[in-house]
Amino acid sequence: MPRRCWEKALMASPLFCTLGLLAIIVLTLVNACVGRPFYPLPSKQDVENRQPIQTFRPYNIAHRGSNGELPEETAAAYMRAIEEGADFIETDILATKDGALICFHDVYLDDVTNVIHHKEFADRKRTYEVQGSNTTGFFTVDFTLEEIKTLRVNQRYKFRDQSYNGKFPIITFEEYIAIALDAPRIVGIYPEIKNPVFINEHVKWAGGKRFEDKFIETLQKYGYKGEYMSKDWLSQPIFIQSFAPTSLIYVSNLTDSPKIFLIDDVNVPTQDTNQSYSEITSDAYFNYIKQYVVGIGPWKDTVVPPMENHLTTATDLVAKAHAHDLQVHPYTYRNEFMFLHFNFRQDPYVEYDYWINKIGIDGLFTDFTGSLHNFQDWTSHSSKNKKSEV
Amino acid sequence: MASSFPCSLCFLLIIVLTLLGGCFAKLLYPLPSKKNEKNRKPLQTSRPYNIAHRGSNGEFPEETSAAYTRAIEEGADFIEADVLATKDGALICFHDVTLDDITDVATHKEFADRKRTYELQGSNTTGFFTVDFTLKEIQTLRVKQRFSFRDQTYNGMYPIITFDEYISIALDATRVVGIYPEIKNPVFINQHVKWADGKRFEDKVIETLLRYGYKGSYMSKDWLQQPIFIQSFAPSSLVYISNLTNSPKVLLIDDVTVPTQDTNQSYLEITSDSYFGFIKDFVVGIGPWKETIVATKGNHLAAATDLVAKAHAHNLQVHPYTYRNEHEYLHVDFHQDPYAEYDYWVNKIGIDGLFTDFTGSLHKFQEWTSPSNKDEKSASELLSKIEALISSSHH
Repeated sequence: MPRRCWEKALMASPLFCTLGLLAIIVLTLVNACVGRPFYPLPSKQDVENRQPIQTFRPYNIAHRGSNGELPEETAAAYMRAIEEGADFIETDILATKDGALICFHDVYLDDVTNVIHHKEFADRKRTYEVQGSNTTGFFTVDFTLEEIKTLRVNQRYKFRDQSYNGKFPIITFEEYIAIALDAPRIVGIYPEIKNPVFINEHVKWAGGKRFEDKFIETLQKYGYKGEYMSKDWLSQPIFIQSFAPTSLIYVSNLTDSPKIFLIDDVNVPTQDTNQSYSEITSDAYFNYIKQYVVGIGPWKDTVVPPMENHLTTATDLVAKAHAHDLQVHPYTYRNEFMFLHFNFRQDPYVEYDYWINKIGIDGLFTDFTGSLHNFQDWTSHSSKNKKSEV
Repeated sequence: MASSFPCSLCFLLIIVLTLLGGCFAKLLYPLPSKKNEKNRKPLQTSRPYNIAHRGSNGEFPEETSAAYTRAIEEGADFIEADVLATKDGALICFHDVTLDDITDVATHKEFADRKRTYELQGSNTTGFFTVDFTLKEIQTLRVKQRFSFRDQTYNGMYPIITFDEYISIALDATRVVGIYPEIKNPVFINQHVKWADGKRFEDKVIETLLRYGYKGSYMSKDWLQQPIFIQSFAPSSLVYISNLTNSPKVLLIDDVTVPTQDTNQSYLEITSDSYFGFIKDFVVGIGPWKETIVATKGNHLAAATDLVAKAHAHNLQVHPYTYRNEHEYLHVDFHQDPYAEYDYWVNKIGIDGLFTDFTGSLHKFQEWTSPSNKDEKSASELLSKIEALISSSHH
């Protein structure tokens, strides 16, 4: 009986029917919109609930992401690094022709992208002077962001997994930051102001802004601020790194985020001030630069020089740095045997043990953040026990 | 000057006393190998065996005393060796039947005329064969690191050692260390070397072991004091020695294309369920090439075979070979991390022992993820676990 009434009502009025349908649609839409705040996006999650960054042992810095497994500086490499336990994900920032900031290590695209397969860019090859020597290739500063986004990244080393070649694009500085902020625990970023002399020569920004200005602007847009170990810093950890001391000094006026001074091999002068290794690792220089940076990032073979693939005596670089309250974050630790001195008997964990426990450094740039994480996790138990033995 | 006689007597007395003192002193300070064995830390049996394949040959030239001493230092449960024979029937620790690859025999002009071509496991091989050199001659040679990408600084420093010397290294260790000798190329050796009284190669190997007191079935009191596994690729050798010793034996299994050297049986046959049913009366386990357990496709791991399950169903242990740290030996799934490989084999595949060139790395992995002296540390470990739980809950 009731059904018949309903049917009667429907047949009686098509308007009623339409109104009903409309109501259903509207309610569904409203529900969809209203429903969202109940399930916030990961990047909007309550930051206080996230596992904080560890600060009781040397920092595990995923150098270019987990590039031992995936092509360097891609979203996949960074996400994998976070999965594997990295404290910081590291990147190099360069610029495109139209001033966009991208995560990429080389000034030219030839070595790790498929740019040579893109016939539409065949005429972009150039020869420029980079840090004193002429270099030929396809330079990032000659491509717009849109064009760069059509390229795909390859694994740099032949002896690493090639099966992800051609799958991932180059990401922007902002995309990289989003990956860190969206992580389910607090993950720090470690961006480098890369080749600033070269970039500033080739790319111009509006308002007379320099590369360093745009770099800091991006960081501030995402709320990166605060001195080392401040509350702000702990909720969004960051180290800004560069080989160019003037860039670091310049950005000191723009941000109080902690900075790291990178130091190249013994025969390489600084690209901006043309100072030698001897000079920038002298006691006097440390005394000067410590006003601007919280630490140094040296090439590890300059800290303990090898001879015929065996370690010789360690230099006093670490002691000197520590005397000036400067942290030491050497680069780069790799698992493959040709990167391991014989003292470590082809065991990357023995290398980590040596640097962390014998040399006593404060952070490590590693291509294999998972291995370092394993080492620290498995051995920090024993060190924790020692600390708790009152 | 008055009399030289008392002077000589005096002198003689001093000599005699020194000799006596020397003898007495020896008695008062026993040699390490004669120390009270009960005080030595026992072999761990709670986790897969760490078998130092040819000693720590990742660091030192293989099968030298240095390689074995280092392996013991690094925590090996067993030190592994291949046993071959010399022309005069001495037993030596050496892997290849030819001396060319890892000794300096080519620089010894006095041996230039010893080069020969023999048939070895079905194919002709040319070189300087151990069976054409006496022990004394072999001991003039020096060993070098087999792989060019490993440390070359010890090349030319160490000689080849005898089976006896190898056993002494194990027995002299400050903790209980097992031996894992292989009856190597027995078909070839028995063809070229003859012993008195019609003894065979296998007889001489077992004789040596018995002389040093190796006896007892797996996990017996005798075995735990002097642990041993006897390994061979030749099933008939293992069956033969079963009549001579109750020490546990392991059947080595080569790649899928290689038949057994003595019985010419295929891989398929000797890994079949029925064969396991037969061989388990003679061996306690198998030692397969690890690539035959888990198939690979383009340097990625593919599906595991059922070899381990089959073996375990017959109560046979599985000790695969060989684990190496260098990235070219690691499948990409392990991202160039030898500890990731150990983790996979120990925890996912569930094997019972590992032949490794890097016994130190395996030992670290095992110690860090499953420490051996659980009884001693269990109380403090529990406390630290509770502490970790409490501190993590604060976040």
